[in-house]
Amino acid sequence: MSTDSGGVGSLMRAAREPGVFMRLARGNLELWANLVVITWAVAFAIWQGSGFAITLGTVFAIWAILAVSLNLVVGFTGLLSVGHIGFFGIGAYTVAILTSNAQYEQLRTEAIPTFGWPFFAALPVGIVLAGLTAIAVGVVFNRFRDDIFVLVSFGFAVICFNVFLNSRALTRGAFGIHEIAKPEIGSVAFGSEVAFLILALVFLAVVVLISWFIVSSSFGRVLTAIREDERATEVFGYQVTHFKLTVWVISAMMAAAAGGLFASWTTFIDPNSFILLESILLVSIVILGGLATIWGSILGAMAFVLLEEGMRFLPFLPDEYVGQARQVILGVLLVLLMLFRPQGLLGRYRL
Amino acid sequence: MLRSAAYRERRGRILAASLTTAAAAYVVWKITESPDQAVQFAFNGLSVGAVYALLALGFTLVYSTVWFFDLYYGAAAAMGAYGVFYLRTSETVGGSHVNNPYVSALFALVVAGVVAWALYEAFFIRMQGRFTRKSLYIAGGTLTGATGIYTGFILASPDYLHLLLAPAVGATAAVVAGWVVSRVIQRLFSKAGRTTLLAASVIVGSLLGACCGLLLAGAPGSRLYLSWAVSCLVAGAVGVALYRGLYVYMRKRARSPLIMLVASLGVLLAITAATAIVFESAPRPLPRAFGSEPWTIWGSNIKGFNIFTIGVAIAGFLGLLFLLKRTSLGRTIRAIGDDEEVAKVVGINTTVVIAIVFFIGAVFAAAAGLLSGHDTAIQPRMGLLLMLKGWIASVVGGMGNLYGAVVGGFALGMVEQFGIWDLAGEWKDVISFVILILFLSFWPRGLLPRG
Repeated sequence: MSTDSGGVGSLMRAAREPGVFMRLARGNLELWANLVVITWAVAFAIWQGSGFAITLGTVFAIWAILAVSLNLVVGFTGLLSVGHIGFFGIGAYTVAILTSNAQYEQLRTEAIPTFGWPFFAALPVGIVLAGLTAIAVGVVFNRFRDDIFVLVSFGFAVICFNVFLNSRALTRGAFGIHEIAKPEIGSVAFGSEVAFLILALVFLAVVVLISWFIVSSSFGRVLTAIREDERATEVFGYQVTHFKLTVWVISAMMAAAAGGLFASWTTFIDPNSFILLESILLVSIVILGGLATIWGSILGAMAFVLLEEGMRFLPFLPDEYVGQARQVILGVLLVLLMLFRPQGLLGRYRL
Repeated sequence: MLRSAAYRERRGRILAASLTTAAAAYVVWKITESPDQAVQFAFNGLSVGAVYALLALGFTLVYSTVWFFDLYYGAAAAMGAYGVFYLRTSETVGGSHVNNPYVSALFALVVAGVVAWALYEAFFIRMQGRFTRKSLYIAGGTLTGATGIYTGFILASPDYLHLLLAPAVGATAAVVAGWVVSRVIQRLFSKAGRTTLLAASVIVGSLLGACCGLLLAGAPGSRLYLSWAVSCLVAGAVGVALYRGLYVYMRKRARSPLIMLVASLGVLLAITAATAIVFESAPRPLPRAFGSEPWTIWGSNIKGFNIFTIGVAIAGFLGLLFLLKRTSLGRTIRAIGDDEEVAKVVGINTTVVIAIVFFIGAVFAAAAGLLSGHDTAIQPRMGLLLMLKGWIASVVGGMGNLYGAVVGGFALGMVEQFGIWDLAGEWKDVISFVILILFLSFWPRGLLPRG
């Protein structure tokens, strides 16, 4: 290498040497998984045109925010929470109610209070509200561990769903809330799909940055220590409950941000978007992508979105069964992963 | 930390006591306010509680044997209900004919696999000395194939359920009657010869079996109740298949119960979605069973079917209690629950015993699912919520305790029903999960802690 100064020559030699690329690729599951999924995504975008790719990208960004935030709790702290969809719903409903349009709402039979706030005023309120809920819930949930934690987090998701469904004076129950405002800053409105995609990606970037900062800081190392041995961490003098509560609240706030984006993007929400099953799907995304890796969660979300859209084009599968078929595949994948790779595709921590 | 633990325990006890007192006071106040409605709510609570108790019983049995949460349990509940739906679509309101040859073939295959494994475990080693391997394989294969084809026929032609099942029920009745007769004769006439014994039991057994079979074949009204039995057995067979085909391998590798939980979550997800694909996800009614006409007693509507549900729950509890406390199988089950490794060392075939436990658990879940399905309606995601209710009931009663499961189930049903007296009925799930969180926080060992 040192004698040859020509770039082309060294590249040629590198290509001829059998080991260079192979050494990089062999056993590097992370690289392969990324390559496969990204190739898939690009092929999809080229095939279906940019409009579809933009929609897909927005859905992906929302799921990715959720997955990354849940991974902070499940992967890095070791608390298998199945109730994350509740915080997502709190964010979504807060944004929906606060931005609800008085002119439109008067036409409806069942009146709900209208505020007509702009999106960027409503979103922080939603995030804070989810954070407060998370504090209240977390104080109670802090003493549970392992399977009991799973059970109570199921309970949290069910309670949230029932609150959304049954407090009709606020959420109009099963009829849902329509005409949720699109975000705008001053005169810049994020009305178009592209603008919204960019906004969602910015949110994802912020969430990933915060998560990365948490994970690589000393705070994150304490979380990992809690995951590995809670008692020992306590003996070392860390207030374990405070650490768990903090990461739980941060994660909930991220999920609420995703919820606000989701509400604004679809412009219509009803309780069916926040059922327990969605929460289980979210957990399976996190486990599929890998526990305790941020990139794994992003990859998992991407694979999840592509799976559904890819299956839409299978000739033998009618359109209305796509969601269910994806669930079947996810379930089988979950079983296979638990058998052969309990840490998930790119994960660093086994359940 | 140490100081606060004792403090927290004392505070927890005080809180639990005050909460219970408040709840009791509320109920008493309500009863004095309108006794008629109280009877109605109490009866509703009992009938809902019976379903929860059934769920909690099976859940407790499985959990206290293998010590991990098997979420297939929820899918089994949904499968029990949907099995009845599948076999009785021609009688349900708006039920298009969903009977599908692929589905029938799949479940026939599962049943055949379970039968093959059961035959292998039961006879292969024992018979090896007497027969050649080849003849055993041929005999086992024939039996397996016959069972599979028979099951396939049963599942594929639900309109002839009573005719198809008549020989099987008759044969079972014959065997049971013959066994009983031979035991009775042995007890009464200890000098009776072998030939007499055999002749008497064969004659009585075949007569009784033929009677049963003929009666059944002439009663098309029994198809609904036969479909109950079939769907319970099929759900149980799927449970065994899942245990033998998946959990056995997984338990060898798994480091923590969470892995098992997540894997069974995957199973639940897949089965729920597959159910939704086959039957569509909209709620469906089940055909009307007996006793769906309400009687008016003390000004409240009481349905005979709900009394039957309560009876099933109590019978299930007594049966399970008998199995666990009085039979040798029950002793082995409890031994495995205490320490599986030691049970294995002592010579218990743990795989077979745990498979039986999974079978019983799935049958309980399926029974609970179809009973609640007859009472309300069925939909593919019902299984998850039913399983969670069973889980909550067993937490309320005390984890891993049969008495606790029954008490917890009925208590949960009662509290749920009395709780929605002033609130609307939609809040009952919230009530039960709030109860769960209260119990786990202040009373984590439940009403009746495990010994």
